[in-house]
Amino acid sequence: MPWGGDEERRSEDEQEEELDEADYKTQKDAILFAIDVSESMLEPQEVIDSKKADKDSAVSASLKTAYQIMQQRIISQPKDMMGILLFGTEKSKFRDEASARGGTGYPHCYLLTDLDVPAAEDVKRLKTMVEEDHEDLDEILVPSEEPALMSNVLFCANQIFTTNAANFGSRRLFIITDNDDPHAGDKTAKSSAAVRAKDLYDLGVVIELFPISRGDKEFDMSKFYDDIIYRDPAADVGIKEEVKTSKSGDGLTLLNSLISNINSKQTPKRSYFSNLDFELAPGLTISIKGYIPLHRQTPARTCYVWTGGEKAQLVQSETTKVDSSTRTVEKSDVKKAYKFGGEYIYFKPEEAKSLKQLGPKGLRIIGFKPRSMLPPWASVKKSIFIFPSEEGYVGSTRVFSALWQKLLKDEKMGLAWFVARDNANPILVAVLPSRNPDASHFLPAGLWLYPLPFADDVRSVDLDRGPSCPDDLVDIMRKVVQNLQLPKAMYDPHKYPNPSLQFHYKILQAMALEEDIPENPEDATIPKYRQMDKRIGGYLSELKEAVSERAENLMQSRALKREAEDDDAERPAKRAKASGGAKKPSGAMNNAQLKEAVDQDTLKKLTVGELKDILASKGLSTVGKKADLVEKLEQWVEENT
Amino acid sequence: MADKEAVVYIVDVAQSMGDCHNGRTESDLDWSMRYVWDKISTTVAANRKTWTVGVVGLGTDKTSNPQDTEGHPGYESISILQDIAPMTMTSLRDLRSKIKPSHTEGGDAVSAVVVAMYMIQAYTKKLKYNRKIYLVTNGEFPIDDSDGSIDDVSAKLNELGIELIVIGVDFDDAEYGFKEEEKSSVKTNNELVLQQLVDKCKAGVFGTMAEAIEELSTPRIKSVRPFKAYDGLLTLGDPAKYESALSINVERYFKTKRAAAPSASTVTSQVDLGGPSQALDEDTEMGGMEFSGVRQMRSYRINDPDAPGGKRDVAFEDLDKGYQYGRTVVPFNESDFPVTKLETKKQFTILGFIPNSSYEPFFNMGEAGIVVAQRQNEGAELALSALIHALHELESYAVARYVQKDLAQPQLLLLKPNPSIEDSFECLYDVPLPFAEDVRTYQFPPLDKVITVTGHVLKEHRLLPSDDLQQAMDDYVDAMDISKLSADDEGNPVEYAPIDENYNPVIHRINQAIRARAVHPDEPLEPPAPILLRFSKPPEKLIVDAKSEIRSLIEAAEIKKVPAKAQGKRGKKDQVKPLSGLDVDALLGESRRRTTISKDNAIPEFKQALAAATDDATVESSTKQMGEIVRKLIQDSFADMQYAQAAENMRVMRQELVGLEMPALYNKFVTALKKSILSGELNGDRREMWFKYIVEGHLGLITCDECEPSGVTQEVAKEFLKGSSS
Repeated sequence: MPWGGDEERRSEDEQEEELDEADYKTQKDAILFAIDVSESMLEPQEVIDSKKADKDSAVSASLKTAYQIMQQRIISQPKDMMGILLFGTEKSKFRDEASARGGTGYPHCYLLTDLDVPAAEDVKRLKTMVEEDHEDLDEILVPSEEPALMSNVLFCANQIFTTNAANFGSRRLFIITDNDDPHAGDKTAKSSAAVRAKDLYDLGVVIELFPISRGDKEFDMSKFYDDIIYRDPAADVGIKEEVKTSKSGDGLTLLNSLISNINSKQTPKRSYFSNLDFELAPGLTISIKGYIPLHRQTPARTCYVWTGGEKAQLVQSETTKVDSSTRTVEKSDVKKAYKFGGEYIYFKPEEAKSLKQLGPKGLRIIGFKPRSMLPPWASVKKSIFIFPSEEGYVGSTRVFSALWQKLLKDEKMGLAWFVARDNANPILVAVLPSRNPDASHFLPAGLWLYPLPFADDVRSVDLDRGPSCPDDLVDIMRKVVQNLQLPKAMYDPHKYPNPSLQFHYKILQAMALEEDIPENPEDATIPKYRQMDKRIGGYLSELKEAVSERAENLMQSRALKREAEDDDAERPAKRAKASGGAKKPSGAMNNAQLKEAVDQDTLKKLTVGELKDILASKGLSTVGKKADLVEKLEQWVEENT
Repeated sequence: MADKEAVVYIVDVAQSMGDCHNGRTESDLDWSMRYVWDKISTTVAANRKTWTVGVVGLGTDKTSNPQDTEGHPGYESISILQDIAPMTMTSLRDLRSKIKPSHTEGGDAVSAVVVAMYMIQAYTKKLKYNRKIYLVTNGEFPIDDSDGSIDDVSAKLNELGIELIVIGVDFDDAEYGFKEEEKSSVKTNNELVLQQLVDKCKAGVFGTMAEAIEELSTPRIKSVRPFKAYDGLLTLGDPAKYESALSINVERYFKTKRAAAPSASTVTSQVDLGGPSQALDEDTEMGGMEFSGVRQMRSYRINDPDAPGGKRDVAFEDLDKGYQYGRTVVPFNESDFPVTKLETKKQFTILGFIPNSSYEPFFNMGEAGIVVAQRQNEGAELALSALIHALHELESYAVARYVQKDLAQPQLLLLKPNPSIEDSFECLYDVPLPFAEDVRTYQFPPLDKVITVTGHVLKEHRLLPSDDLQQAMDDYVDAMDISKLSADDEGNPVEYAPIDENYNPVIHRINQAIRARAVHPDEPLEPPAPILLRFSKPPEKLIVDAKSEIRSLIEAAEIKKVPAKAQGKRGKKDQVKPLSGLDVDALLGESRRRTTISKDNAIPEFKQALAAATDDATVESSTKQMGEIVRKLIQDSFADMQYAQAAENMRVMRQELVGLEMPALYNKFVTALKKSILSGELNGDRREMWFKYIVEGHLGLITCDECEPSGVTQEVAKEFLKGSSS
């Protein structure tokens, strides 16, 4: 096997560890865009305060947004569904039936893309629609004389979700409109819309509104949409979430504004755990919910494809367990045992279970410390965000808030024992507060469970103390640091898309849509070298000069010292060995020594083991015969010194 | 890789070791062996061929050692129980049968050390080894030291580089604070002789058994050699293009790496495979079972309408790898497309700096590293040191792009300065930063104010702490400070629960259980060692001291537990309203209230009907209608097209009836449905609906655990899902 299935190589234990988080991730999501097609939605936006005119109409901005979201989601969440429903159109279309005038059950509703897991063709189709002037689309985008009944639109969405995404964990209807009062004066129409909205709520569909406003006119929710929108059932009592209005202006096009608003709702808000007991003090328990707002996004797993037929086909794989003589082993005969001294140590299932039970699930404070006691290196994995919930204990929110305010005020952290789920491995966490989000802070306010490393996770790296750096060098370096601050003096992850992931997306899309593969991928993580040269080049040159002078002195004084030591000692001690501790002298060969060895052709005098150590230390492959190893190392030295 | 190791354990098995002393109910031998087994089983667990173990019995009934064979006097009752060799389960079992109290008074302990010494010499020759001898004895048999032998022995031990560890049962140890009363004169003398012997060794330990056993409960951490992840340049600017760019030769090591708990393998018990010879084997001890590993065999299938069953097998060799692009499958064969990976070059370069106040620890995405200057490179040492000090003085961090090796994925790392203050060394610590895609923007309401639907901002609300509560919380947090709760060796206050005392409970719990089971296969599991769970609760003393603060906090908090069944019963449900608070049900009016449930809008109508129901009959009738809709969906389904919808209807039905505590209605329905599906009366073979949607979707009978009035046990529910017929 050239790339021998990476799935198989994962140890079972690892899978077990991640199981619950994986469950959390794979909950499927279905989004239906409902885009209002009216005269005003079709008008191009006029932007006075911006140099470049915003040529997109609200409808085309909406379609472009939908296209962008589809492009992203089809790769990052290839199993999720998307669909686009236009309303207020002259034409009507639902599934197979189409008619010019209200012939379907849902007049003035036009189902542009049915709710489904998109295919490459869907992306292509949408792409041609938004990028080129599309005649068909022009025909579709004709507003009807009378507006669509919102009750119809909502019931149409209801039907689409009921039949296409019946068992999806998350189903959301994204309504994009600039009309805050579609049924002004028509009380009956308003009432029936409210009833249909309740149906959607009962069905478990969440309506997200993306209002568009123009000029000074505010989008007034109270006129109609407050009767339509329900609180996110996952959110908590009493507090309304902000509905953000999209508009063009302030140099921002409507498209950008819309994309940013929709993107912020792209991932459905799912909790990692809910109604978990948080024992703040003996006898005082509140309930909390947990979320994972930061999670490393990686390319989806590869799958096996059969290309023997007309169309590439996904292969389903089945596993059977077999024993050493390849006889099938029944599920009931499969047991878990630990390898030990060349044999298996067996525990009965109930014993194995009890081994993992080290306490019930929950979070329990064991004390508080100043935040400064958190060592800078104490990091092992991402943190979990927690927020109070009144589900299990009434009054949780106010107690949580009091703790949050205290920890913020006095820069303290809690220390807590944390078991996320039944049978999950307990960990010790630091409980850290995050302040209210603002321009320089992108995460929500609440408490974070910051996993602390176990003693078992800490590597001891014993190294020498280097020379103390002279102040004048530090002075120059300080100017370097001061003159190379990141924008807004903060690290804003939104400015740095993952270059490998983006490249993977682009390649995959190009291959799926049979487009050309982009040559020069954008990479925001590459420093702006030219700017750097301009801003700190002068200081760096100064610094380099000073360093080399000092280094010369230091080298001489060290040489003198060594000679003195050598004279003192009976047997000359090998310096590298004495300082290196666990390392062999060869592993500590510095580049200069390596270069010397290459020049004098003495590398081959090293043993294979030593060569491998050196190669490994340079991050190079250690496979091959001795001659290969020497060659590899020589090449590295040539390139790197 | 760790160094090679040759260890010989000398175990005193003399008759007296079989007795219990000083109030213990365990014999001296059993007690001592707790220590020895722990050591030996740790070696077995490491599973290294280069870690070797030998065992010498002292005070054995027979005599079997080369020195005695050669005719030297004083070597009686000393037997080599195991030659130096790698430790396996077989040798461990073998040993177990040999270590029993003898009927002999004893043997000369120093002679046994000599035996062990020559064993090690013969085995390790001049090679590089860690050499150790453990002597475990109660010191009740006289040692002959008249000839000054301990001088010769210690000289030879030192020459060979052997460490001698003597652990005595009830030996006096002033430092540990143990003194045995009414000690025999023989033992007193022996302790003296052995103490002298250890003192003369360059490497030696002399201790009492109680201390050794006490230390066993402290988990031992597997040490891992530092791994150098990167050796190359840390740059500021691009040295290839700009002359001004600064390059520093650095090395990067892992600072933290999550240690994994031992993982269990999938095995099967071999039944009558090897014939009768195996049954006679000792292996039957493991509960009469022997195990063999299980492998996974994979088969690959594709849809093929022409094949029977619509599917056929394909050979693995014919497959490509690929990715899913929505419904479209994209073959992604690496040999066809060389450019599928971002081309990157090994690199470590700084993007810029940020004040550390703008960074929070919970942005960290994973394990930390440590960056130091290349050894013996003065320029690098000075330049890195300048960077570290400048960052420290300016309270700043650096953000860097890191590519571990060519073609590796770029990462962004945050570099934090660690200047040499006191005894720590100079370095940068690094932690991985999130990328744009890694951030999920979830919105949450503020915690310090309440914004009402109408947009008013409230500072006083039941969701916000009152001044009293805030004060009580402040006092409580201050009272529960553990930053100075513990004491170090000199009695100075230090923090409680520092990282180096925080042992991974799972790893050590499993290791402890495996070792115990290996040595004593028939004994039940012991509970986890208390040291593993000590941080699961606040320290007792602290709770006592903070008693009044805790009481005030509880009073001010006024927390009320929501009764478990509160949301259950009919009618008590909170009415759900849209943002405006409009009563939608009222819109429908009493007369137009829904009582019939349509297939198209089944779930909302069912829920609304139940919410409005005033009597059990309405619930029953609604459930009946819903049941009919489910049956109809299955019956009319073209292949599996409507199964998901049917299952979703069932899920809602199940959930609502659990809520109403009327599980019988659902159980009756699902029982009938099962029969219909399996007997094929719903228009053909609908078994997929049963297995894939109902069984896998957990839509079986409602059990008592879920809903008390059900009367269905877990077993019955399981059986219900299992039974393919009846």
